[in-house]
Amino acid sequence: MLGKKDSKKDDESGGSNPFKNLEKASVLQETRTFNETPINAKKCCLILTKILYMINQGEHLAPTEATQAFFAMTKLFQCKDVMLRRMLYLCIKEMANIANDVIIVTSSLTKDMTGKEDIYRGPAIRALCRITDNTMLQSIERYMKQAIVDKSRSVSSAALVSSLHLMKQGPEVVKRWVNEVSEAVNSDNVMVQYHALGLLYQIKKNDKLAITKLVSKFSKSSLRSPYAYCFLIRVAAHQLEEEKDGFDKTLFDFIESCLRHKSDMVIYEAASAIVSLKCTTSKELVSAVGVLQLLCSSPKPSLRYAAVKTLNKISITHPAAVTACNIDLENLITDQNRSIATLAITTLLKTGNESGVDRLMKQIASFMSEISDEFKIVVVDAIQSLCLKFPRKHNVMMSFLASMLREDGGFEYKKAIVNTIIAIIEENPEAKESGLSHLCEFIEDCDFLPLATRVLHLLGREGPRTTTPAKYIRYIYNRVILESAEVRAAAVSALAKFGASSDDLLPSILVLLNRSKLDEDDEVRDRATFFYDILSQNDKALSSAYILNTLNVSPVSLERALLQYNQSVTEKPFDIKVVPTIEVTESHKPSAETSLPKTVKPTDKPAASRQDLYSEQLSAIPEFAHLGPLFKSSAPVDLTEPETEYSVKCVKHTFTNYIVFQFDCLNTLNDQLLEKVVVKMDTADGYEIISYKTCPKLPYNTPGVAYTLVKIPEDPSQVVATFGCNLKFVVKDCDPNTGEPDNEEGYQDEYGLENVEVTVSDHVQKVLKPNFGASWEEVGAENELEDTYALSMPSLEEAIKNIIQFMGLQPCERTERPPEGKNTHVLLMAGIYRGGHDVLVRAKLAYNDGGVAMQLTIRSSDSIVPQVIAQAVG
Amino acid sequence: MGLLEKIESLLGGRKKDFNILVIGLDNSGKSTILNNLKTKDTKVATINPTVGFNQEKINFQSVNFNFFDMSGQSRYRSLWEHYYKESNAIIFVIDSSDRMRFVVSNEELADVVNHAEIKNKDIPLLILANKKDVKGAASENEIKNELEINRIKGRNCKVYSTNGLSGEGINEALEWLASEMKNLA
Repeated sequence: MLGKKDSKKDDESGGSNPFKNLEKASVLQETRTFNETPINAKKCCLILTKILYMINQGEHLAPTEATQAFFAMTKLFQCKDVMLRRMLYLCIKEMANIANDVIIVTSSLTKDMTGKEDIYRGPAIRALCRITDNTMLQSIERYMKQAIVDKSRSVSSAALVSSLHLMKQGPEVVKRWVNEVSEAVNSDNVMVQYHALGLLYQIKKNDKLAITKLVSKFSKSSLRSPYAYCFLIRVAAHQLEEEKDGFDKTLFDFIESCLRHKSDMVIYEAASAIVSLKCTTSKELVSAVGVLQLLCSSPKPSLRYAAVKTLNKISITHPAAVTACNIDLENLITDQNRSIATLAITTLLKTGNESGVDRLMKQIASFMSEISDEFKIVVVDAIQSLCLKFPRKHNVMMSFLASMLREDGGFEYKKAIVNTIIAIIEENPEAKESGLSHLCEFIEDCDFLPLATRVLHLLGREGPRTTTPAKYIRYIYNRVILESAEVRAAAVSALAKFGASSDDLLPSILVLLNRSKLDEDDEVRDRATFFYDILSQNDKALSSAYILNTLNVSPVSLERALLQYNQSVTEKPFDIKVVPTIEVTESHKPSAETSLPKTVKPTDKPAASRQDLYSEQLSAIPEFAHLGPLFKSSAPVDLTEPETEYSVKCVKHTFTNYIVFQFDCLNTLNDQLLEKVVVKMDTADGYEIISYKTCPKLPYNTPGVAYTLVKIPEDPSQVVATFGCNLKFVVKDCDPNTGEPDNEEGYQDEYGLENVEVTVSDHVQKVLKPNFGASWEEVGAENELEDTYALSMPSLEEAIKNIIQFMGLQPCERTERPPEGKNTHVLLMAGIYRGGHDVLVRAKLAYNDGGVAMQLTIRSSDSIVPQVIAQAVG
Repeated sequence: MGLLEKIESLLGGRKKDFNILVIGLDNSGKSTILNNLKTKDTKVATINPTVGFNQEKINFQSVNFNFFDMSGQSRYRSLWEHYYKESNAIIFVIDSSDRMRFVVSNEELADVVNHAEIKNKDIPLLILANKKDVKGAASENEIKNELEINRIKGRNCKVYSTNGLSGEGINEALEWLASEMKNLA
C-alpha cells in the first residue's frame, strides 16, 4: 500500500517541470560558476541545461548577455568530463547565432575533432560547422577534408552532414571537397554512403548532365546502403519530372529494376516513385502497383501502412490501377492498426461504386472512436469527394457526418466536418435542409467560437430561403441567450437577415432584437440597435443595402481611407465610394470572419489585396497623385511573345476619369542596357493621351516600370478602345559580365508590341450580392434596359462563361453553374460601374440547337451605364 | 583522485589552478612556447595559426598553470579582454626579430595594462622577448626601451629573452612566474 502511494507521488512529480520557473537573469548569473577552478562538472552541466531550455522556450537573449555567457562557457574546455563536454557542444550550437565572436572556440573544437577521443570528434565537427561563417570556412577546410574520409563512421557522417549545411553559405568551398566526398561514397558503412551520396548530389545539383551521369554510374555499381538506393531513386524520379521533352529510358529502367531489390525499403521507394511520376503509363504502373499490392499483405505494419497510404494518394489519379488491389484493401479494413484500416476504407470509398458505400460507411463507423483526429480528417475528406461523386448518397453521408459532429474532437477535425457539410449544401440543394438542421444541432453545444459564428453566418444567409425559416430562429436565439459576446453578435446579425427577408417573421424578429438592445456587450448592443432601427423603417431598399448586401470594401483600404480622411481638414462627409471594393475571390466558401470583425486577433492583420498594393504604388508617384481613388486594376496581359528580347506586361488601372497603363518591362539581353524606356501609345477612339512616365534605366534581368496616363472621353457612352503600342528606348551595348556600358553614346531604337484593348470589363468592378433579389428591387426599374440577343454558342455553359468574361461582372447566387440537362437558365450578375454606380444584370438564357437566345435586363443607378454594359455583348 | 591528492586538496593551497593569459601579436610564438612546455606524448609536430584560443594545462614545478593561449591576429585581439577578469597573470610575447612591429606591440601592451579590468588589479606581467636566436634580434634592453617598460608602475614586471623552439630561457621565466604565483597564494 505504501509502495503504491509512493509511485503515485513519483508520477506527480514527474509531470511537473523542474525548469518551469527559470529566470533569465538568475541563469545568466549562474554562468559565473564556469570561471571557478577547479570546475564542478555536475553543476556546470545543470546550468548549461538551463540555458538550452531557456533558448528552446523562445527566451530572447540580447547579444551582449549571450556573448558574456558564451565566453564564460569557453572556460569549460579545460574540464575533461565527457558529459560536460558534450553538453558544451550542444550549447555552442544553440548560441552560435545569438552570441558574438563565437569563432573564439574554433581552435578548441579543431583540437577535439582531430583528437584521439572518438566520442568528441563527431559532435566537435558539428559544432565547428555551426560557428564557422563564410570568411572562416577556408581555415577549417583542411580539417573537414580529412574528417570526410576518416575511418570512423561517426566522424565521417558528421563531416558529410555538416558540409551539407555549409553548402547553404559557402557552396564554392564545399564544392572543392568533391574528391573526398566521392571517396566516402565508396564507404562500407551504410550511413556514410547515404550521407556522402546526398552531399555529392547537392554539390552537382545544378548541373543536369552531371546528375544523370551520377545516377547511371551508381545504378550500375551496386551500392551497399538501401538508404543510398532510396535517395538515388528520388534523384532519378526528380530528374524524370524535370525533363519536359523526351523521356530518359535509362533512368526509368533503373527505378523499375529497383522493384526487384532485396530490401523492402528500396522496393517501396521505387514503387512509390513510379506511381507518383506524371509520365507513367498504365502499363508501367501495373508492376509498381503489383509491388504495393504485395506489400499490403506484408507482416510488417509499417510496410502495410506505406503501401496503403500510397494507394490512397493515387486513388484519384489512377483509379483503375487501384481497383486491381481492391481485394487486398478489403482485407486491410479489419487490420489491427486503425490507421491502416482507415486508409484502406477511404481508398475503397474513393474508388468504389455507389452500391458499396453503405457497407463501407458502416464498417468505418465501428471504429471511428479509436482513431486519431488526423485520420478522422482523412475520412471526412473522403466523404466530401464521395458526396460530389454520388450526390444521391447525401443522406447516408449527412447522418454520418452529423454523428461525427456529436462526438468529441479537436478544432481542426470539427472544422473539416463543418467545411464538408457546407460544401455539400452548396453543391447539392437537396441536402440543404438536412445539412442546416445538423449544423443547428451542432452549434447548440459547440466549444469553438469561429465555427459557431461561421454556422450562424451561414444560417443567416441560407435560412431565410428555406421552406420553413421560422424553425431556425429558435436555434439562433438560443445562442443570443447562452453564448459569449462574439457568438451573440453573430446571432444578432443572422436574426436581422431573417427579419429583412420575411415580412411574416418581421414582428417576432423585432421583439427579439429589442431584447438584445440591453445586452452588456457594446458590439452586440450596437448591432441590435442598428438592425432594429433599419427593420422598423420597413423599407425594402434600406434592408437590402444595410442587412442583406452589406459593404464590399476591403478592410485594409477602408482603414487607410478613413485615416486619410481624419488627417485632412474638410467639411465634406466621408465618401464610402472612394474605397476600392474587395476583389471577389474565386472560391465561394463563406468566411466566418466577415460577419464578425471582432474575432480577428489584432496580430494577424488582413492581408492587403493585390489592388491595395497597386494603389499604394501609384499614389506614391506624384504625376498620378491627383487622379483620385483607384477603381480597378486588371490582371496583367502579355504584350510580347514568350522568350523574345524584351518582355512587356500591361496592367490597366482604371480611375474615375483616367486610365493608367502600367508596363512591366524586362530586358533579357545581357549585352544591352536600355535607357529612357517608354511605351508610346496611339488610338483613334477618343481617348486623350496626357503624359508618359519613362523608366530611366533597364539593365539586364532587372524589371522596370513605365507608365502612360490617358484621359477617358467625356462622352460617357464611349468606353471601348484599342491602343497601338510601341516600346521606345535608347540602347547602349554593354559588357555582359559587369553590365557597364561600352560607350556613353547609345542609339535610339523601338520595338513593336501587341495592341492593348480597353473593354467594358475594365470599367466594372465585381461585387458579390449575397441576396440578389433584394438589390434588384432596391435599384428599381428607373434606368432599366431590356434587349434580346441571339448568341452562336455551342452550349449554355459556354455562353455563361463568355458573358461573364465580357461584362466583367460577378455572378451571384451561384447562377454561373447551370443545372445539368436543362435548356433554360437565369444568370444573375452584379457589379459597380466606374464612378460608383451599381449595376445589376439578369440574363435569361435558352438553348436550342446550335445557338443561345438571351433576354438581357440591366438595371443601374445611372442612366447611361446600362447602355454601356449592353455594348459589351453587341 | 588518489588519497594523497585528496589530502593535499583538503589542506588547500598546492592544488589551486592559476589562469595565465598568453597574448601578443600574431606569429610571435605563443603557441610554440606552450608546445615546448608539454610532455613528449602531448606535443604537436606543427603549429598552425590559432583561431580563437587554445587552452593548455601545464604543471610546472608543482604549480598548476592553466594557460589561455589567445589568437594574436589583429581581428581577434579584441577577444583578449573577455579573459582579463579571471586571469592571475599575463604573459606578453613579442617577436624580437620583427622590429617593424615593435610599435604595434607597444600599443597593444599599453592597451592591455590600461584596460579597466587590469589597471587596478595587482597581477604580474611577464614579457617574453621570443626568437632571440634569429639573426638581428633585439636584445632584452632594446625590448625594454621599445615597450617602455618603465611606464608600467605598481605591478611586478619582468622581461626574459627566450627561444620557443629550443626552450631556452623559458624555464627561468616560468620559475619567476611560479614564485610570483606562490606569493600570491
